[in-house]
Amino acid sequence: LILFTAWPPLAGGTGKDRLKARAGFGIRAGKEFSMAFVKVVRRGMLPEEWAQLRYGWVKRGIIKRKFEITGLEIRDALQTGENTYTFLSDYRPLKKGDMYFSPDGTVFIKGHGAIPEELKGKEAWFFLRTAAEMIVKIDGRYAGGIDPNRDRLLLDPWLEEGKRDFSFEIEGYNRSKPDDERNLDTMALRGCRQIFEGAYVAELNREVLSLYYDLTLLLDVACAGTFDEEYQRFVVRELNKALDLIDYDSFEGAAAASRYIEEHIYRNRDFASSGNVALVGHSHLDIAYYWRRIHVAQKNARTVLIQMRLMDRYPEFRYAHTQPYTYEQLEKYYPELFAELKDKIKEGRFEPVGAMYVEPDCNIPAAESLIRQCLYGQHYYRRAFGITVDNAWLPDVFGNSWILPQILKKSGVDYFVSNKMSTWNDTNRFPHNHFLWKGIDGSEVYACVPPTHFITWNMPSQIKENWDAYQEKEGGGQTLSMFGYGDGGSGATEEMLELMARFEKLSVMPKTQHMRADEFLHRNLKDNLGLETWDGELYLEMHRGTFTTKSDLKAYNRRLEFKLRDAELIALLRMKEGAAYPGEELRECYKMLLLNQFHDILPGSHIHPVYEDAMRDYRELESRLDALLGQEDGAAGAADALGREDPPEGAFSGGLTAGRQYFNSLNWKRESVAFIPWKDGPFVRKGERGYFCLPEGEALSAVFPGRPPVGGGDDTSWLKVEGLKAETPFYSIRFAPDGSLESLCDRKTGREWTDGGFNKLHLYQDMPGLYDAWDILPGYKDVEFPFTVEEELHLTAVDGAAAEFTVLLKTPQDKSSWRMLLRLFKDVPGIEVEHVADWNEKHRMVKAEFSCNVLSRELVCDTSAGYIRRETHKNTSWQKARFEVCHHKWCDFAERDGGVAVINEGKYGLGPEEKGFSLSLLRSTIRPDILSDMGRHDFCCLILPHQGDAVEAKINRRAYEFNVPLAPSRVKGLPFDFAPLYLQAAKLSEDGKYVIFRLGEQDGLRGQVRLPFKGVLMNLLEDVEREAEILAYKPFEILTVGMKVEDYLEKREK
Amino acid sequence: LEEYINSRIVPRIQGDGGWAEFVSYENGELALIFRGECSKCMILERCIDWISQEVKRDLGEEITVKPLPRKPFFWDN
Repeated sequence: LILFTAWPPLAGGTGKDRLKARAGFGIRAGKEFSMAFVKVVRRGMLPEEWAQLRYGWVKRGIIKRKFEITGLEIRDALQTGENTYTFLSDYRPLKKGDMYFSPDGTVFIKGHGAIPEELKGKEAWFFLRTAAEMIVKIDGRYAGGIDPNRDRLLLDPWLEEGKRDFSFEIEGYNRSKPDDERNLDTMALRGCRQIFEGAYVAELNREVLSLYYDLTLLLDVACAGTFDEEYQRFVVRELNKALDLIDYDSFEGAAAASRYIEEHIYRNRDFASSGNVALVGHSHLDIAYYWRRIHVAQKNARTVLIQMRLMDRYPEFRYAHTQPYTYEQLEKYYPELFAELKDKIKEGRFEPVGAMYVEPDCNIPAAESLIRQCLYGQHYYRRAFGITVDNAWLPDVFGNSWILPQILKKSGVDYFVSNKMSTWNDTNRFPHNHFLWKGIDGSEVYACVPPTHFITWNMPSQIKENWDAYQEKEGGGQTLSMFGYGDGGSGATEEMLELMARFEKLSVMPKTQHMRADEFLHRNLKDNLGLETWDGELYLEMHRGTFTTKSDLKAYNRRLEFKLRDAELIALLRMKEGAAYPGEELRECYKMLLLNQFHDILPGSHIHPVYEDAMRDYRELESRLDALLGQEDGAAGAADALGREDPPEGAFSGGLTAGRQYFNSLNWKRESVAFIPWKDGPFVRKGERGYFCLPEGEALSAVFPGRPPVGGGDDTSWLKVEGLKAETPFYSIRFAPDGSLESLCDRKTGREWTDGGFNKLHLYQDMPGLYDAWDILPGYKDVEFPFTVEEELHLTAVDGAAAEFTVLLKTPQDKSSWRMLLRLFKDVPGIEVEHVADWNEKHRMVKAEFSCNVLSRELVCDTSAGYIRRETHKNTSWQKARFEVCHHKWCDFAERDGGVAVINEGKYGLGPEEKGFSLSLLRSTIRPDILSDMGRHDFCCLILPHQGDAVEAKINRRAYEFNVPLAPSRVKGLPFDFAPLYLQAAKLSEDGKYVIFRLGEQDGLRGQVRLPFKGVLMNLLEDVEREAEILAYKPFEILTVGMKVEDYLEKREK
Repeated sequence: LEEYINSRIVPRIQGDGGWAEFVSYENGELALIFRGECSKCMILERCIDWISQEVKRDLGEEITVKPLPRKPFFWDN
């Protein structure tokens, strides 16, 4: 008995040898045999190895002859924008054997070729083997692309009749990161510097090429281990007989070998199979990941070009391409290709899929962001191609929020496609591939979670695996297998299509059918009464760290989501006062936010330059929004509390913003304290000096914060402090020296809220392995490191409204410092905690524990459009797997008559615990970005004990107030407020005809409101559905109401 | 040289998913720590040659580069 432990890769093998390696070639289908005491390694050659060896020889015969093109020139460049470059050299000669490309470099190559006399009347190919991504122009026209997955393009269509010479230009971008880490061959090719292997005009040996495709197909069947063992042995035996017919010097006999295969393997029907698999051509494209987004215009253009060239040669080929943003880029930077693409779309061969502007992360963006992903995506498709896409194509996102079905359904999307839950879940097998997904409000969409990866190379074994894993077999129909390389690997290849043409010859293959994505969805999901329903979020049991990694991005995203809300609303209100609505600028700003919500940007799973780009975008976006918000009266409100332009003497002198007029953009009266910047204020919050006050401001109205209560006359008698004990009108508190609360007792009810660590920081080891930025492991608590208290908690500031306590902690070896500022208030029960960290760790995570004196099994979490309840016990594997979940502005752990909420301003990771929860504050991962999260952080959260449950306590409103500061604007308000619904957004419709109010029910209530105007109800794409006077709503429903602009402008101001 | 490496070379390498850090420059030998993807690159010597050429072209100095790869724990094997 023999153990074959290793199989050497074939010398010189590129192309498909790697596929065999991946598929397990040369290894006895996972079978290991051992003798009693000694492992024996076979050194002889197995029949499949013999076939495999000769497969490599056949491959060498594909190029019949080639003629080198000499006199090439190359120029180095560095890409600085989507279509801008800094040239690093002039053109210089490029010869075979030269080194070319440099880190992150682009090259431009040009030359002249000629079709040699020997190829007259024969098919001529441009041949170039490279590890880079290249767009090739022949005589000024886009002829195709070359990369590690394709090394040639057909010259004939691009040569003028009778002309035998041609010029060519190449733009190439180096690809250090292969499109797929399972792709062993491209792993071997990766690197910043490459050796130029020469450019050629070549003739193919068509007989050898056809045989090569047969062998590729059959060796996969024979060696991948997914097919019947007898059939595998049969194929190997017959293949070797066929390969015996070839002379490997002249390649004579290739046609005879093909005939043998046809007669002895393809015609054999003794072996049967079952199954029905739909094959959809697709190329996944990360907008940023191991590359900056400036490279995506070119990656995308090359992908589109290559797929269109395949359509030229294979008219029956269909291909699905997603993300309207990428089409927008093509239209802008490659208009010639875009014009050609439009024709292919009209013909139905090139299929735009995915209604969303990009493939965003679907955990962290708030409801309005996801709505805009659909709105701007669909409106682009309508404008550019006259279509509305009925599917959401999100194969690679890291789980999907429960709020999505409603947003999709109301955006013209009936079908949802996402792969990750089927293949990435680390604990439980997601039980469906085809199902109805029921959302938080009860909306349903058809959902497809394909059984296998979204990047495949259309190998028989991959298709068989797909069918084998399909869980709705009993219901009949087809399962979905996407094929095509991704991320600049440029989709389908000629080989994938040639294999597809041979599938029906193989009796052991499931039945396959190549089709469009929408055809698959309509045929297999629409009106399918057998579908079961999944009612809940689509939680991915992996990548749980992406709720926390790169916390700056998350905080910016949250802040800008609300700032965009204010900017649109205030622009509408100014419109009422005669100003023009800056629609184009607002749309561009929104798109910049949406772009950075891409599923490898906002989650933090990218290289450092991508982070720098995103932060640059966010800074620019904030500056543009501040300019929009401050348009009417400078950087901040100009009038003081009494409406005077000049600040009064004394307290306001020199103040930048104190005492000025603000606007409450929320559609209810605020009940939280506000921090008002003022240079003489007693508190420093997030680096800015100011004071706290409880402003009186009605819904959507002007607010005049009170005078800052500073100076010796301030009454601080509301606070009593004795050592680590403090008493306020609300609480008796006993602090620990490290800033956690040992006791938090409600003075009115006598209720104690703590039961263990409460506001207690923990520093955990956080070493998830290769997927460093993505994952948190379930055992993260196993190793904990102590914080040391550098400065014990002590009172640092107090006035008539607030008191501030400070503590300074250090991590081991004093690597990081962590200052916590706890603020108590005289007039409100919230306790604000500001965290100021100088963070310099590796593989550490900080969480804040909140163990509460509360008996509950549910953690109520904000989703941004309603709340979701998560179990805190670990009864089943499903609950165990959810040891880290995503929430939005708040979470709440409560009994029937009271509990504890914690409101955040940009933290999403949350660990449900038996006695409450832990809020994830910071991580320090090193892959893909070594500097991830390093440096200074300053963020706040609010601890809010309350009576009743979260809805009765209006936690959602308090969370809005915490996240939406008063707007420095003098606009007059609206004469209506839509209470009790939440005004999620207000904007001018994209066609400029309606003022749109987006109203959300977020408290789980049912009811109706009478509209204060004659309005229309719209879908989320701003299509009018019907007139509306009374608006009936159900729990968690999102409604879009339109008011004609002329009616809006006539309405009297409040 | 340190400024040159940090401003011209490091961003290029980072743009390709790699990571380089200046350590020292003594007697014509530039020591660089390589992390991230560079730490396991099978053709790092080509990149090192490129760095030497860039330095020669832009600063006119002949240097040798001493690479100090630092693999993260998950690539230790």
